[in-house]
Amino acid sequence: MIKTTIGTAALALACSLAISAHAQLVTVKQLSLPIAASIGITALETCKAQGYNVSVHVIGNMGEVLVALRGDNTGPHTMENSMRKALTSRGTRLPSGEFAENVSKTPNAGALRLGNMIPARGALPIKAGQDTIGAVGVSGAPGGDKDEACAKAGIDKVADQLK
Amino acid sequence: MSKIHRLAGVSLATALAFGLATSANAQLLQHKDLSSAIARTIALTAIDACKEAGYNVSVHVVGRNGEVLVGLRHHAAGVNTFENSWKKAYTSRTFRIASGKFAENVGQNPVAGQLFLANITAARGALPIMIGEETIGAVGVSGAPGGDKDEVCAQAGIDKVKDQLR
Repeated sequence: MIKTTIGTAALALACSLAISAHAQLVTVKQLSLPIAASIGITALETCKAQGYNVSVHVIGNMGEVLVALRGDNTGPHTMENSMRKALTSRGTRLPSGEFAENVSKTPNAGALRLGNMIPARGALPIKAGQDTIGAVGVSGAPGGDKDEACAKAGIDKVADQLK
Repeated sequence: MSKIHRLAGVSLATALAFGLATSANAQLLQHKDLSSAIARTIALTAIDACKEAGYNVSVHVVGRNGEVLVGLRHHAAGVNTFENSWKKAYTSRTFRIASGKFAENVGQNPVAGQLFLANITAARGALPIMIGEETIGAVGVSGAPGGDKDEVCAQAGIDKVKDQLR
Protein backbone atom coordinates (compact mmCIF):
# COMPACT_ATOMS: atom_id res chain seq x y z
CA MET A 1 0.00 0.00 0.00
CA ILE A 2 2.74 2.45 0.94
CA LYS A 3 4.77 1.27 -2.02
CA THR A 4 1.85 1.93 -4.34
CA THR A 5 1.39 5.42 -2.94
CA ILE A 6 5.05 6.25 -3.43
CA GLY A 7 4.90 4.82 -6.91
CA THR A 8 1.88 6.92 -7.75
CA ALA A 9 3.56 10.01 -6.36
CA ALA A 10 6.64 9.32 -8.46
CA LEU A 11 4.50 8.85 -11.53
CA ALA A 12 2.65 12.09 -10.86
CA LEU A 13 5.97 13.89 -10.49
CA ALA A 14 7.29 12.45 -13.71
CA CYS A 15 4.15 13.46 -15.55
CA SER A 16 4.26 16.94 -14.14
CA LEU A 17 7.83 17.36 -15.36
CA ALA A 18 6.90 16.15 -18.79
CA ILE A 19 3.69 18.05 -19.32
CA SER A 20 3.89 20.85 -16.77
CA ALA A 21 1.83 23.87 -17.61
CA HIS A 22 4.99 25.82 -16.86
CA ALA A 23 7.04 24.07 -19.54
CA GLN A 24 8.54 26.68 -21.84
CA LEU A 25 10.23 26.72 -25.18
CA VAL A 26 13.91 27.46 -25.19
CA THR A 27 14.59 31.04 -26.16
CA VAL A 28 17.84 31.60 -27.99
CA LYS A 29 19.47 34.53 -29.68
CA GLN A 30 20.45 34.13 -33.29
CA LEU A 31 22.67 36.16 -35.58
CA SER A 32 20.64 38.06 -38.17
CA LEU A 33 21.91 38.24 -41.73
CA PRO A 34 22.65 41.99 -41.53
CA ILE A 35 24.77 41.50 -38.41
CA ALA A 36 26.53 38.45 -39.84
CA ALA A 37 27.16 40.23 -43.15
CA SER A 38 28.54 43.24 -41.29
CA ILE A 39 30.95 41.02 -39.35
CA GLY A 40 32.11 39.22 -42.48
CA ILE A 41 32.54 42.28 -44.67
CA THR A 42 34.33 44.22 -41.92
CA ALA A 43 36.75 41.35 -41.35
CA LEU A 44 37.52 41.06 -45.07
CA GLU A 45 37.94 44.79 -45.58
CA THR A 46 40.09 45.17 -42.46
CA CYS A 47 42.55 42.59 -43.77
CA LYS A 48 42.42 44.11 -47.25
CA ALA A 49 43.29 47.54 -45.84
CA GLN A 50 46.36 45.94 -44.28
CA GLY A 51 47.36 44.40 -47.58
CA TYR A 52 46.09 40.89 -46.88
CA ASN A 53 43.69 39.14 -49.24
CA VAL A 54 41.53 36.84 -47.19
CA SER A 55 38.37 34.78 -47.32
CA VAL A 56 35.87 34.89 -44.47
CA HIS A 57 33.11 32.70 -43.09
CA VAL A 58 30.51 33.63 -40.50
CA ILE A 59 28.61 30.68 -39.10
CA GLY A 60 25.61 30.46 -36.84
CA ASN A 61 24.78 28.61 -33.69
CA MET A 62 24.54 25.16 -35.31
CA GLY A 63 27.57 25.70 -37.49
CA GLU A 64 25.44 26.64 -40.47
CA VAL A 65 27.11 29.03 -42.90
CA LEU A 66 25.51 32.47 -42.77
CA VAL A 67 28.06 34.40 -44.81
CA ALA A 68 30.85 33.19 -47.08
CA LEU A 69 33.12 35.69 -48.80
CA ARG A 70 36.03 34.94 -51.07
CA GLY A 71 38.49 37.82 -51.32
CA ASP A 72 40.24 38.89 -54.51
CA ASN A 73 43.45 37.01 -55.27
CA THR A 74 43.07 34.63 -52.38
CA GLY A 75 44.51 31.14 -52.32
CA PRO A 76 42.16 28.33 -53.28
CA HIS A 77 42.15 26.82 -49.80
CA THR A 78 41.13 29.98 -47.97
CA MET A 79 37.39 29.40 -48.29
CA GLU A 80 37.56 25.93 -46.78
CA ASN A 81 40.04 27.00 -44.16
CA SER A 82 38.04 30.00 -42.97
CA MET A 83 34.95 27.81 -42.69
CA ARG A 84 36.77 25.13 -40.73
CA LYS A 85 38.38 27.64 -38.39
CA ALA A 86 34.96 29.17 -37.72
CA LEU A 87 33.38 25.77 -37.09
CA THR A 88 36.22 24.86 -34.73
CA SER A 89 35.74 28.08 -32.83
CA ARG A 90 31.98 27.58 -32.56
CA GLY A 91 32.37 23.97 -31.48
CA THR A 92 34.87 24.70 -28.75
CA ARG A 93 33.48 28.13 -27.90
CA LEU A 94 37.10 29.30 -28.04
CA PRO A 95 39.34 31.17 -30.41
CA SER A 96 40.52 28.50 -32.86
CA GLY A 97 44.07 29.51 -31.97
CA GLU A 98 43.43 28.62 -28.35
CA PHE A 99 42.08 25.25 -29.41
CA ALA A 100 45.27 24.77 -31.46
CA GLU A 101 47.35 25.50 -28.36
CA ASN A 102 45.25 23.16 -26.26
CA VAL A 103 45.69 20.20 -28.60
CA SER A 104 49.31 20.88 -29.51
CA LYS A 105 50.47 18.52 -26.79
CA THR A 106 47.85 15.89 -27.52
CA PRO A 107 48.04 15.04 -31.23
CA ASN A 108 45.57 12.22 -30.64
CA ALA A 109 42.97 14.53 -29.12
CA GLY A 110 39.55 13.25 -30.06
CA ALA A 111 38.43 16.72 -31.04
CA LEU A 112 40.86 16.65 -33.96
CA ARG A 113 39.01 13.65 -35.37
CA LEU A 114 35.68 15.43 -35.61
CA GLY A 115 34.55 16.59 -39.02
CA ASN A 116 36.06 19.86 -40.20
CA MET A 117 37.87 20.65 -36.96
CA ILE A 118 41.20 22.34 -37.58
CA PRO A 119 43.88 23.52 -35.13
CA ALA A 120 44.59 26.83 -36.83
CA ARG A 121 44.39 30.35 -35.49
CA GLY A 122 42.17 32.92 -37.16
CA ALA A 123 38.63 32.43 -35.86
CA LEU A 124 36.79 33.82 -32.85
CA PRO A 125 33.51 32.84 -31.24
CA ILE A 126 30.68 35.35 -31.53
CA LYS A 127 29.04 35.77 -28.16
CA ALA A 128 25.87 37.30 -26.83
CA GLY A 129 26.81 37.78 -23.20
CA GLN A 130 28.17 34.41 -22.09
CA ASP A 131 26.46 32.44 -24.85
CA THR A 132 28.33 31.51 -28.00
CA ILE A 133 25.93 32.05 -30.90
CA GLY A 134 28.31 31.66 -33.82
CA ALA A 135 31.83 32.29 -35.00
CA VAL A 136 33.81 34.18 -37.61
CA GLY A 137 36.81 32.63 -39.35
CA VAL A 138 39.44 34.30 -41.53
CA SER A 139 42.10 32.75 -43.75
CA GLY A 140 44.67 34.21 -46.11
CA ALA A 141 46.79 36.62 -44.09
CA PRO A 142 50.43 35.64 -43.50
CA GLY A 143 49.83 34.32 -40.00
CA GLY A 144 46.86 33.23 -37.96
CA ASP A 145 47.42 36.14 -35.59
CA LYS A 146 46.75 38.54 -38.45
CA ASP A 147 43.68 36.57 -39.54
CA GLU A 148 42.42 36.71 -35.96
CA ALA A 149 42.89 40.48 -35.74
CA CYS A 150 40.56 40.88 -38.73
CA ALA A 151 38.03 38.50 -37.20
CA LYS A 152 38.13 40.62 -34.05
CA ALA A 153 37.55 43.81 -36.06
CA GLY A 154 34.44 42.18 -37.52
CA ILE A 155 33.03 41.35 -34.10
CA ASP A 156 33.97 44.73 -32.66
CA LYS A 157 32.02 46.41 -35.44
CA VAL A 158 28.75 44.95 -34.17
CA ALA A 159 29.61 44.77 -30.46
CA ASP A 160 26.66 47.04 -29.60
CA GLN A 161 24.24 44.65 -31.28
CA LEU A 162 25.51 41.50 -29.56
CA LYS A 163 23.43 41.61 -26.44
CA MET B 1 63.46 12.46 -104.39
CA SER B 2 60.11 11.63 -103.03
CA LYS B 3 61.86 10.34 -99.92
CA ILE B 4 63.66 13.65 -99.51
CA HIS B 5 60.42 15.46 -99.92
CA ARG B 6 58.88 13.33 -97.25
CA LEU B 7 61.78 13.98 -94.88
CA ALA B 8 61.51 17.66 -95.56
CA GLY B 9 57.84 17.45 -94.77
CA VAL B 10 58.54 15.77 -91.45
CA SER B 11 61.16 18.38 -90.57
CA LEU B 12 58.81 21.20 -91.43
CA ALA B 13 56.04 19.68 -89.36
CA THR B 14 58.43 19.23 -86.44
CA ALA B 15 59.67 22.78 -86.71
CA LEU B 16 56.12 24.06 -86.85
CA ALA B 17 55.12 22.07 -83.80
CA PHE B 18 58.06 23.39 -81.81
CA GLY B 19 57.38 26.85 -83.09
CA LEU B 20 53.83 26.71 -81.77
CA ALA B 21 54.98 25.33 -78.47
CA THR B 22 57.82 27.73 -77.82
CA SER B 23 56.98 30.76 -79.93
CA ALA B 24 58.30 34.03 -78.62
CA ASN B 25 54.84 35.36 -79.32
CA ALA B 26 53.11 32.91 -76.96
CA GLN B 27 50.99 34.85 -74.48
CA LEU B 28 49.17 34.11 -71.30
CA LEU B 29 45.43 34.15 -71.44
CA GLN B 30 43.86 37.26 -70.08
CA HIS B 31 40.30 37.66 -68.94
CA LYS B 32 38.13 39.63 -66.59
CA ASP B 33 36.78 38.09 -63.43
CA LEU B 34 34.25 39.23 -60.87
CA SER B 35 35.83 41.10 -57.98
CA SER B 36 34.88 40.24 -54.43
CA ALA B 37 33.22 43.66 -54.09
CA ILE B 38 31.08 43.35 -57.24
CA ALA B 39 30.08 39.80 -56.33
CA ARG B 40 29.06 41.02 -52.89
CA THR B 41 26.94 43.83 -54.34
CA ILE B 42 25.14 41.38 -56.61
CA ALA B 43 24.38 39.04 -53.71
CA LEU B 44 23.30 41.68 -51.21
CA THR B 45 21.10 43.35 -53.82
CA ALA B 46 19.44 40.05 -54.72
CA ILE B 47 18.73 39.22 -51.10
CA ASP B 48 17.36 42.73 -50.46
CA ALA B 49 15.18 42.61 -53.56
CA CYS B 50 13.60 39.39 -52.37
CA LYS B 51 13.28 40.74 -48.84
CA GLU B 52 11.35 43.73 -50.17
CA ALA B 53 9.08 41.39 -52.07
CA GLY B 54 8.46 39.57 -48.80
CA TYR B 55 10.69 36.54 -49.43
CA ASN B 56 13.52 35.31 -47.24
CA VAL B 57 16.13 33.74 -49.49
CA SER B 58 19.68 32.53 -49.65
CA VAL B 59 22.00 33.66 -52.44
CA HIS B 60 25.21 32.43 -54.00
CA VAL B 61 27.48 34.13 -56.50
CA VAL B 62 29.97 31.86 -58.24
CA GLY B 63 32.92 32.85 -60.41
CA ARG B 64 34.33 31.77 -63.75
CA ASN B 65 35.34 28.34 -62.51
CA GLY B 66 32.19 27.75 -60.52
CA GLU B 67 34.02 28.67 -57.32
CA VAL B 68 31.94 30.29 -54.59
CA LEU B 69 32.62 34.02 -54.33
CA VAL B 70 29.76 34.88 -51.99
CA GLY B 71 27.23 32.85 -50.03
CA LEU B 72 24.55 34.51 -47.92
CA ARG B 73 21.86 32.86 -45.84
CA HIS B 74 18.94 34.96 -44.68
CA HIS B 75 18.28 34.24 -41.02
CA ALA B 76 14.70 33.20 -41.76
CA ALA B 77 15.34 31.30 -44.99
CA GLY B 78 14.59 27.61 -45.26
CA VAL B 79 17.21 25.02 -44.42
CA ASN B 80 17.77 23.84 -48.00
CA THR B 81 17.98 27.27 -49.57
CA PHE B 82 21.70 27.75 -49.06
CA GLU B 83 22.62 24.57 -50.90
CA ASN B 84 19.97 25.10 -53.53
CA SER B 85 21.06 28.64 -54.39
CA TRP B 86 24.61 27.37 -54.84
CA LYS B 87 23.56 24.50 -57.10
CA LYS B 88 21.39 26.78 -59.20
CA ALA B 89 24.26 29.22 -59.63
CA TYR B 90 26.70 26.43 -60.45
CA THR B 91 24.25 25.05 -63.02
CA SER B 92 23.79 28.44 -64.62
CA ARG B 93 27.54 29.02 -64.83
CA THR B 94 28.16 25.56 -66.23
CA PHE B 95 25.67 25.80 -69.09
CA ARG B 96 25.98 29.58 -69.49
CA ILE B 97 22.21 29.96 -69.44
CA ALA B 98 19.52 30.67 -66.88
CA SER B 99 19.07 27.60 -64.67
CA GLY B 100 15.36 27.81 -65.50
CA LYS B 101 16.20 27.54 -69.19
CA PHE B 102 18.30 24.48 -68.43
CA ALA B 103 15.37 23.02 -66.50
CA GLU B 104 13.16 23.58 -69.52
CA ASN B 105 15.71 21.96 -71.81
CA VAL B 106 15.92 18.78 -69.76
CA GLY B 107 12.30 18.92 -68.68
CA GLN B 108 11.12 16.21 -71.04
CA ASN B 109 14.23 14.08 -70.66
CA PRO B 110 14.65 12.66 -67.16
CA VAL B 111 17.79 10.78 -68.22
CA ALA B 112 19.58 13.81 -69.66
CA GLY B 113 23.28 13.22 -69.02
CA GLN B 114 23.78 16.67 -67.54
CA LEU B 115 21.49 15.80 -64.66
CA PHE B 116 23.98 13.14 -63.60
CA LEU B 117 26.83 15.61 -63.22
CA ALA B 118 27.63 16.60 -59.65
CA ASN B 119 25.80 19.60 -58.24
CA ILE B 120 23.67 20.25 -61.30
CA THR B 121 20.05 21.07 -60.56
CA ALA B 122 17.08 21.60 -62.84
CA ALA B 123 15.57 24.51 -60.95
CA ARG B 124 14.85 28.08 -61.94
CA GLY B 125 16.34 30.97 -59.98
CA ALA B 126 19.86 31.55 -61.27
CA LEU B 127 21.23 33.68 -64.09
CA PRO B 128 24.65 33.77 -65.74
CA ILE B 129 26.72 36.89 -65.17
CA MET B 130 28.03 38.00 -68.55
CA ILE B 131 30.40 40.46 -70.11
CA GLY B 132 28.93 40.72 -73.58
CA GLU B 133 28.78 37.12 -74.79
CA GLU B 134 31.21 35.81 -72.20
CA THR B 135 29.97 34.12 -69.03
CA ILE B 136 32.15 35.03 -66.05
CA GLY B 137 29.99 33.68 -63.24
CA ALA B 138 26.42 33.26 -62.07
CA VAL B 139 24.07 34.28 -59.28
CA GLY B 140 21.59 31.85 -57.76
CA VAL B 141 18.65 32.53 -55.44
CA SER B 142 16.49 30.13 -53.45
CA GLY B 143 13.68 30.62 -50.99
CA ALA B 144 10.97 32.56 -52.78
CA PRO B 145 7.73 30.70 -53.51
CA GLY B 146 8.62 29.95 -57.12
CA GLY B 147 11.76 29.93 -59.21
CA ASP B 148 10.42 32.80 -61.28
CA LYS B 149 10.43 34.98 -58.17
CA ASP B 150 13.93 33.83 -57.23
CA GLU B 151 15.08 34.72 -60.73
CA VAL B 152 13.67 38.26 -60.51
CA CYS B 153 15.88 38.86 -57.46
CA ALA B 154 18.91 37.39 -59.25
CA GLN B 155 18.24 39.77 -62.13
CA ALA B 156 18.03 42.71 -59.71
CA GLY B 157 21.48 41.78 -58.42
CA ILE B 158 23.00 41.75 -61.89
CA ASP B 159 21.23 44.95 -62.92
CA LYS B 160 22.74 46.73 -59.96
CA VAL B 161 26.28 46.28 -61.31
CA LYS B 162 25.61 46.23 -65.04
CA ASP B 163 27.72 49.36 -65.58
CA GLN B 164 30.69 47.51 -64.12
CA LEU B 165 30.26 44.38 -66.22
CA ARG B 166 32.38 45.36 -69.16
